This record gives sequence, structure tokens and C-alpha cells, in this order.
Amino acid sequence: MFEQFFEWYEKRHDYAQGWMKKTGGEVVGCFCSYAPEEIIYAAGHLPVRMLGSHEPQDVTEAHIFGMFCPFCRDVLAQGLKGRYHYMKGIMIAQSCLHIRQSFTSWKKHVPVDFAYYLYMPNKVQTEHSRPYLKSEFEKFKTALEEWTGKEITEEALRESAELHNENRRLMHEVYELRKGPNPAITGLEAMVMVASSFFVDKKDHNAELKRILPQLKDRQLDRETGARLMIVGSEDDDTDFVRMVESVGATIVVDEHCTGTRYFWNLTQFDGDIMQDLANRYIDRPPCPTKDWEERRRFPHILQLARDYNVDGVILIQQKFCDPHECDIPPLKEYLNANGFPTLFLEFDVTVPLGPMRIRVEAFLEMVGEEELF
Amino acid sequence: MGVYKSEPLKSWAKAKELRLKYYKDYREAHKKGGIRWTGGAWAFDAIPAGLGRDVYNITGEPYGASLAFDKPLSQECMEAAEAKGWARDLCSYMRNYWGSMYLNKYAFGGEYPTPDFCYQDHICCSHGKWYQHVAEYKKIPYFCIDVSVGPYKDLDEDRLMFVVNQMHEAIEWLEKVTGRKYQDDLLIEAVENEFRSTSTWAEICLLNMARPAPLDEKTMYSLYVHGTLAKHSKEVADFYEELRDEVQYRVENNIAALPNERCRLMSDTQPPWGFLKVFRYLEQYGALSVGSLYTFGLIGIWETKPDGTWGPRTTPMQKGEKITTRDQALRLLADWNLSKPEWQHFYDPDLKTEMMLQIVKQWQLDGVLLHLNRGCEGLSCGIMENRLGIAEAGVPVMTFEGNMGDEREFDEKSVMSRIDSFMERLDLKMLESKARA
Amino acid sequence: MITAGIDMGAKNIKTVILRDGKMIGKSMIPTGFDQAESARKGLEAALKAAGIELSAIGHITATGAGRKSAPHAHSDITEVGADAKGAIFRVDSARTVIDVGAEEGRGIKIDSNGKVLDFAVNEKCAAGAGSFAESMSRALEVTLAEFGEMSLKSDKHIPMNAQCTVFAESEVVSLLHAQTPKEDIARAVCDAIASRIAAMARRVGIEKNVALIGGVAHNAGFVTSLKRALDCDLIIPEEPEYMGALGAAVVAGERIDNGGK
Repeated sequence: MFEQFFEWYEKRHDYAQGWMKKTGGEVVGCFCSYAPEEIIYAAGHLPVRMLGSHEPQDVTEAHIFGMFCPFCRDVLAQGLKGRYHYMKGIMIAQSCLHIRQSFTSWKKHVPVDFAYYLYMPNKVQTEHSRPYLKSEFEKFKTALEEWTGKEITEEALRESAELHNENRRLMHEVYELRKGPNPAITGLEAMVMVASSFFVDKKDHNAELKRILPQLKDRQLDRETGARLMIVGSEDDDTDFVRMVESVGATIVVDEHCTGTRYFWNLTQFDGDIMQDLANRYIDRPPCPTKDWEERRRFPHILQLARDYNVDGVILIQQKFCDPHECDIPPLKEYLNANGFPTLFLEFDVTVPLGPMRIRVEAFLEMVGEEELF
Repeated sequence: MGVYKSEPLKSWAKAKELRLKYYKDYREAHKKGGIRWTGGAWAFDAIPAGLGRDVYNITGEPYGASLAFDKPLSQECMEAAEAKGWARDLCSYMRNYWGSMYLNKYAFGGEYPTPDFCYQDHICCSHGKWYQHVAEYKKIPYFCIDVSVGPYKDLDEDRLMFVVNQMHEAIEWLEKVTGRKYQDDLLIEAVENEFRSTSTWAEICLLNMARPAPLDEKTMYSLYVHGTLAKHSKEVADFYEELRDEVQYRVENNIAALPNERCRLMSDTQPPWGFLKVFRYLEQYGALSVGSLYTFGLIGIWETKPDGTWGPRTTPMQKGEKITTRDQALRLLADWNLSKPEWQHFYDPDLKTEMMLQIVKQWQLDGVLLHLNRGCEGLSCGIMENRLGIAEAGVPVMTFEGNMGDEREFDEKSVMSRIDSFMERLDLKMLESKARA
Repeated sequence: MITAGIDMGAKNIKTVILRDGKMIGKSMIPTGFDQAESARKGLEAALKAAGIELSAIGHITATGAGRKSAPHAHSDITEVGADAKGAIFRVDSARTVIDVGAEEGRGIKIDSNGKVLDFAVNEKCAAGAGSFAESMSRALEVTLAEFGEMSLKSDKHIPMNAQCTVFAESEVVSLLHAQTPKEDIARAVCDAIASRIAAMARRVGIEKNVALIGGVAHNAGFVTSLKRALDCDLIIPEEPEYMGALGAAVVAGERIDNGGK
């Protein structure tokens, strides 16, 4: 039932080039989930989230120091290896230092016509960030208009915002189906569903979601649900890992990570000023740790998700060297444990040793299972 | 084999005294009802100064470096941090600091003096999180100003106002948290001191263009530190003017930092604090580091002069501007700091490469040593592109891995060996006979 | 004019004696615990092979990690400098030199005279090259030589994490448990090491021709993997493990010409 999502996820370059031919628009690579995709789309271009290919590589060492996360180096490798030869535009809405180096090195070494750095605020907890981000969005819009040679109308922005909201609403509907005792969707399917949305026109993604939703409501999976797990962490689209976890007696029923719910969780609220409305959406979304201070707002949100989805245990996934998440994980672990949720911490690279990880996951499941007895 | 005459720095004693006094004042602050706060060296320290003349702070980075000097204590701090589950690749200043807090040991004797509040700025990923943890651990209030509004060349009213608005917010918050009435005249004084201290520091660095260089970078570390502790204070501004006068005197009298100076280099990022002997090793080749973008621009404020050279930024006072209101003071303070050289590379490594090549040209340097600092993601951001840019410009450059605050990550033998290879490349042999014949 | 070069390596001490540009004697001795003593033995053996006395040698230059402890040496030079000189001596078209030793890998950019223009050494991450291959060959229960040969027999490319030795080792364990053929594992390991070396070499830029020196150049499997990783041909001089010592001997000759400096 999820074959289309898998195909989009695996054949992202084919889709992008096909889309370009069909629409005449450009593809704009977005280096971070804070990118205002709605604006890019309203300009007639396809925003695509930059992800890696989970292959070891040897081309980025000259550009990004080895102590930065493997994910950001994997992303840059895609550019240096020419995988995105068709992509003429890139942009970043700043958050962490790691991925921003992928952007600046890409800009320098991979031929593009348009490269935009959007100074997204980190202190989203101040009201001043709202008008500020609105002004940054205005500047971005102007830059896009200059590149495209066409005005981005308010109507186009509103339509684009509606379309992206619709996508989020539909994905929420799918996620709702995972709350019950025997989820009709595996964690792997959900991961690929969300990840594929990064690469395709939301029109296409929405159509596919609408097609399968009625079928999902009656779907029965021929598998044991087992332990209900949540994955929390940094960037993670490691399908091999998820597949492994779901083969040893568990199901991932919800997540809070960069290529999961943090991307689509909140919708744009329409309040009369479309640019401000869009800015507010990005200010109010579940935060990346780099933007979660002075208060910890991310933790209660994670706890609520764990409760709503009746989770048995939480796997904390962290890309090796990811400073933002490393700053959150020890207190988060304590917080979850104190609230009755056992946690397992795993460090990720672009490829992961499934054997040793399986041992840890199985041990965790045993532990979680024992807790059930009490 | 001396070529130039040398003399110890007269200001040395004063420098040491000032620094120790600063840390003592912080510890004793409460005795007379004073306030003490903790935050980063880049947190606009001129702002809390408006709360009174008895406001003391410790800044996390110099404190983390001070801990790093004390190898056994640093080791304890690191282990304490790791015992709490913190990853080893996190900012090593931060881990040293947290360790000191957990162990309740102050690097300058006694217990870790609990601050009244945390007050910080945010530009690198760890900044905002560092004091979030201190605040939650010590259960004290916390305020942080986001300054990541892009490079100075792209600064406009919206971006400036985002910072200034937060500064206004900070003042209201400080009043609430301390119960004190804010005094704008103290703010203005502090701001003017800061302009004076940071531009004077740049003047001092500029004097190192002289041949022979009056100061070597290792010495400069003990001098720029004051700007990271209390650049808003009259004491630091006055001290820097005294120091500048002495360095000027050294230049006029050809007094060298290194008597046998024959090779001029620059470094980059914080040095490995536990292994400053690296600089002594270079001296055996007659080589010295005259500075770095880090030493010049961490607190020094610069501008490009009409003739294209780099020089100290002209202060508002020098332009005849009189600061009369809070808003005016905050705007000038924000603008001043946003032009900081060490804030530019966060957005584009090319901006830093340009500045580094300017330093190479203007200070007449023979090569560059890049410390690939595993302890600081902020200053190592983009460093490999800097390396490429410098190499492409035909400037000899070498890298060595290390950690500013975690001595376990420094391989002394390997680094010395690379320096040997680099010196060979520059056609330099050791001056002392460690070689044969 | 007779000169000698001594490469005081971490594992082995290599000595080369040159007369008028020709190698007339050489030796390789394990460094062991007492490196000065081993160096003496090495020099003796090389002199014997060359059929000359110590007094016949005009200048001896030492290189390698233990170069300051080399007895009888008149001067020393770093490994980077020695590698450059050795490589250009044997391969005059070399402009990039890659040296893969037991513990360290180096990438060196040189000009037509063998002058070092830029160099890179493997960083903490992806450290170790030869020693990693050795421990992997032990895990597969074969000799190092067999290990290289085995990798050539595989035509599979199993991606192995080339960033972290510890992660890579876990992956090998997983592959063994999954009954992956040893040839494929051997190749995956060779590819992983080659990838690390290529990444490091790219920091100085790959300019043709690329010369590969150091003991690991004997490992046909690794060489094939490195050619693939760099996507270019490699020139391997004869006796690649002696290139450091040879370079030092060449430098010794230059120093005689310059009055012993």
C-alpha cells in the first residue's frame, strides 16, 4: 500500500527531474527543516529537503572537518558527487552549525544559480522573533522573485500554505491510526511516508495520502505489534534500522525527530497577514534543540506524544557528534525515565552496525517487557 | 643567536593582578550585597553593569580555559561531566565549567560561587544550551540574547532591531529578577568603556605588524583575556591603554618578543590550553605566531580603513558622538558587536578566509597554523574551507588536531612532528642544536 | 659519493646506502624495544650488503618517528620531506605522494624537484591504516598477504563505514555472523582503508602522477581499492617500503654538497 512512497523516497532524483520537465520550474534544495517551503512552492519551484544516501564517502574531508556530524557530510557528498546536477537553487534557514557547512561548501563547489542563506532566529521564545522572521521571509521572497523573474502573489502564497497544511493534516490522520492497540501502519511505512514528502510536490503526496487513507482504516497487518516504541532524536531516515527494530518484536508507533513529526506537526494558522502567518508557523513548530531555550518546551511535547501514543519505551537516536542533541539527551533521558518511560540511547552514523544494535534493542525490549509485568 | 633585543613586558604583573582580582571579586560579591552573574564572554556585559557598581560576573569560556590549565582539576571536571552522561565531543569549555559546578570546586579556590542568574548571548549551537543547564541545575533565572542575525555586511534595520529589542527586554528582565532600578548612566559608561577597550585591543594587535613583533601570541593570550572577562569595565579599558603605550614604546625601540625572530606565522582558533609549549617549540626555529583572527577579533573590533588596510574601528566617541539615551547606547552596542570579526564566519567561511589573508598580507606572515579544535564547533566551523582558501592563495598552511580544553585529545608528539615537517617546508632548521653537527 | 638514509619507523628500521644514485645496500630490521641498538644492527647489515665500511659514508641522514635517536646520523629530516625526496628520485613524474604506513597515512603535494608544497596527515578520525588491516586479517584468520589477495577475488562492494575504525570493526563482526564470504569482507576492509586514505589525500589535491609508497603498497588488494577510490592510476616504485630511507639518503647527498648542513 505504501509502494508509491517508497518509490518516491528511493527514486527522488527521477521524480525531481520529471517534475522539472512537467512544470518548467526549478528544484530548490533546502538544508534544514526550518526552510519556508511554502514560499518556494508559491514561486513555482519544488522545495526538496536535502538528505544523504547512507553511503560511506571520501570526498568531504577536504571541506568539512571530521568532527562534524556524518549526516551533514553525507549531504555535501551528494553535491560533490554530482547527484543533484539538475538542481539550480539551494537555500538554508539557519539552525545548527553542522548542516550549514554543507550549504556553504555546496555553494562554493557545486554549480548553482541561486543560493540563499536565511537568518532564521534561534530565540523563537521571544515575541520579537515574529516580526523579525516575517522580515526575513519578505527578503527571501524578494530574492526568489528576482531569480525567477516573476512576482509571488499573495494568492499564490495562500494557496501554497493551504496545500502544505493539507499535507500536514493528512499525515496527522495517518499518525492518528497508530494510536490504537494494533496500528495499521508500521514505523517503517510511516518513516518513508514522511520522508517521501520532502521530495515531491505536495499535490502528488496529498493525492496519494487521500487514496490510501480509506484503505488504511480497515487495514489489518499480519504481524504482532509487540512493544510500542517511540524514536526521538536528530536527523534519522535510517530505514534499515527501523526495519530491524520492527523485526524483533516491536513497532514504532510515533516519533519526534527531524525527518519525522518535527517537520509537519504544526499547521499555519491564518490570521490575515500571510507572511506573518507563515513566520508564526515556523516560530511555533516543535523546536530543534538549538532553538529550545531558555525554557525547555520540547520535553513536555515529547512526553505528551509518548502518552498519547501509549508508548512502552523510547529510543533516543543521535547522529554522532550532533551537539544540539547531545545538549538535550542527558536531561531528556532523566525526564522521560522520571515520567515512567524507559529509554535506550543509540549513536548513529550514516551506516549503522545492525548486529550490535540488534543486541541492544533486544535487551531493551526484554527490559521493557519486564516492566509490563509490574 | 640573538638578533633583536628583548625585554619582559612591564604590564605583565598588572595583567595577572587584574585577572586574579576579577575572579576574587566574583567570589566575594555577596559579602557586600553585590550581584554575581554568569554567562558567555560575548554576552553584552555592559548591560548588567547598569544595575550598579557592584555587579560581578564570570564568563564561561575564560573560566573553562582556566580550568584547562589545571590539568588534574580539568580531568576531574571532564569525568564529572561524563558521569552525568554528557558526550565527549561537546564544547570542552562547557564540560569543564559544568564539571566545576557539579564538583562544587572553584578554579580559584573554594566552592563554586553560585551566580544569582545566568545571562548569555547565542550564536553557536551550544551557547543557549550551556546556561540553560546551569540555570536548571542551580535553579536560577536565565535570559539569553540571540545575535545570529547574519554577517555585518548584511546588517539592516530589521536585523539590528531584533537584537536591540532583545536587549531592551533583557533590561526589563534584569530589573525584575534583581529588584533593582536600572541606571542608564551606568549603561552608557559601560558601553563607552567597551568601545574603548575593544578598539584599543585592536590597536595593540596592529602594533604587532612591526618587525620584530613586540608581542608573541602566547603572551597575547594573557592580555586579551581581560577583554573576555570585563570589556565594559573602566579598569580593562584603562589597562589596555597603558598596555598599548608600552607596546608602542617597544615598537619604537625595536624590542622584540622573540630575539631571533626570522619566521612570522599566525595561528587559528583557541590554542590547546594545556599545551602552550607548542609556541615554545616554534621558537626553537626562530618562528613565532604574531596573532590570529581569534586573538585579534574575539574581542577586538576592527574596520577596513579607506586605504584598504585593517585597523581598529573608530569609536563613537572618536566620531564626536555623545550617547544620551538607553536606546542609543543599546543600538551602538549591538552594531559594534555585530561587526566583531569572530562573528562573521558563522555565516560563510569565505568571510573568514578573506580576513585571514588580509592579516597574512598586512602583518607580513610566512605561514598559517590551523588548530583543528575538536573542543569548539563554533570556531572550527568552516575551517577546512579556510584551509583550502589559504592554500589556494599560495600561503603555506598546516593543520593540527587538538582540543582547547580537553587535554586527552592532544597528541603532543604527532603535533611536534608536523611542525617539524612544516618548518622544513619553509626551509627553516632548528636554531638550538637538537640536530647534529 | 656514498650516503646513507635510515628510516626509524615505529615498526621497522629501514636503511639504504646510495652510491652515485644507485642503491648498493639495504636492510630492514624490526625496531624492537631498543631502537638505537636496532638501528646500529640495521646499518651494519646494510654496510655488509654493500661491501663497504662505515667510514666510506660521507653523510648519514635519519628520518622516521625515532630519527632523533639514530646513532651515527649526521642530520635528520621529517618523514614528509624524506617521502617527497624518495618518491621523486624514483618517479620523476610524481606530483602527489601517498605514503601508507602502519600507523600513519600521509598525502604530500610536491613539485618537480621534490619540494614539499603541501601535506596532510590522517587525523584522529579514520586513523590507522596498516594496523587496522592487520587486525582484520587476524579476525579472518589469514595472513596479511593472503588478506590482500583474497580481496582481489571479490567483485562485491559491501559498503563499510570508512569514518570510524571502531564502527568498521563492528560491521566486520556483523558480516562474519551473517556468513558473508571472507573474500567479500576482505575487499570491504581494503575499500574502507582506501577510502580513508583517498579522503585525506584529497585535502592536498590529487595531481598526476600519483606515487604510492610505504609497506602497504605491497598489498595488491589495497592498491586496487585505492586506485578505485581515487579513480586514477598509481605508480608504485620498486621497494616502496624503502622510499623514506632512500629519500633520506638523497637528502644526505644534498647536504654534503651544501657543506654538511
